[in-house]
Amino acid sequence: MSDKDDPRACCETPLERAEADLAAAKAELTDAEREVGKAESEIKEAIQEEEHCHEFSVEVLYDGVKKKFEVRPEETVKTLLDKAINAFGPLPNPHMLSLYKDGEELGDQLTIKAAGIKPCEMLLLRPSKVKGGA
Amino acid sequence: MIAPYHLSHEVLERSFAHFRECGRGRRECQVLWIGPWQSPDVIAKVVHPKHEARIGGFMLDDRWINAFWIELGNTDMGIRVQVHTHPGEAFHSPIDDEFPIIHKPGFLSLVIPNFGLGQVGFAEAYLAEIQPNGSWQEVSISSRLALT
Repeated sequence: MSDKDDPRACCETPLERAEADLAAAKAELTDAEREVGKAESEIKEAIQEEEHCHEFSVEVLYDGVKKKFEVRPEETVKTLLDKAINAFGPLPNPHMLSLYKDGEELGDQLTIKAAGIKPCEMLLLRPSKVKGGA
Repeated sequence: MIAPYHLSHEVLERSFAHFRECGRGRRECQVLWIGPWQSPDVIAKVVHPKHEARIGGFMLDDRWINAFWIELGNTDMGIRVQVHTHPGEAFHSPIDDEFPIIHKPGFLSLVIPNFGLGQVGFAEAYLAEIQPNGSWQEVSISSRLALT
């Protein structure tokens, strides 16, 4: 539409027209912000859903008894270790116990993913050292 | 009152045989008394772990512990008592306190004096038990172990 056809052109001052344009732009901005907010919460939900989907179970063996635990890849080995120590006891002197995978002691700060722990895998809960002496 | 574990004379005799054969009166030695989880008050078997030993101490082989852990899981057995020798008097040393194979309240550790060269039995032996706070406390042998 040309200025000639625009009904505002004959009766609005340039300032009034600019103010009207600004109001329209603000309304569009509000809509856009609402859309961004909606998209952000959809992303958050999707991330949570993906994390939940990746939860899997492992077994921990202590003193001949197996127990099942749910883990997530980004959790630390320490989180699983603490859960296991509580589930099997709680066991006193928890600092003396570690989780073992394929015969190797797992570092507490590793994530489940970094430790290479796979679904349904069996981990050993055992003392790092067993010794005695007079 | 805590029910005692029941163990046979055979288990006790085999344990002393291991102490004498392995320790030869010169080194400490350890055995483990295990039993089925279906009958938690029964000690059914003696296991002689792979270990390094010297006159005043021993240490279990790390790989052996891994394999043994899996065997316990496969056979549904648990460790009831760790039993080891001392060169002289039987007592629970700070190393014994700190490095048991099981960290669980109620777990027992029996110490046999004189490298186990004496008469088969509990004479002069020392029995300690893990308390809920993780400390060890001496308990009477007859209150925890019954020979059958």
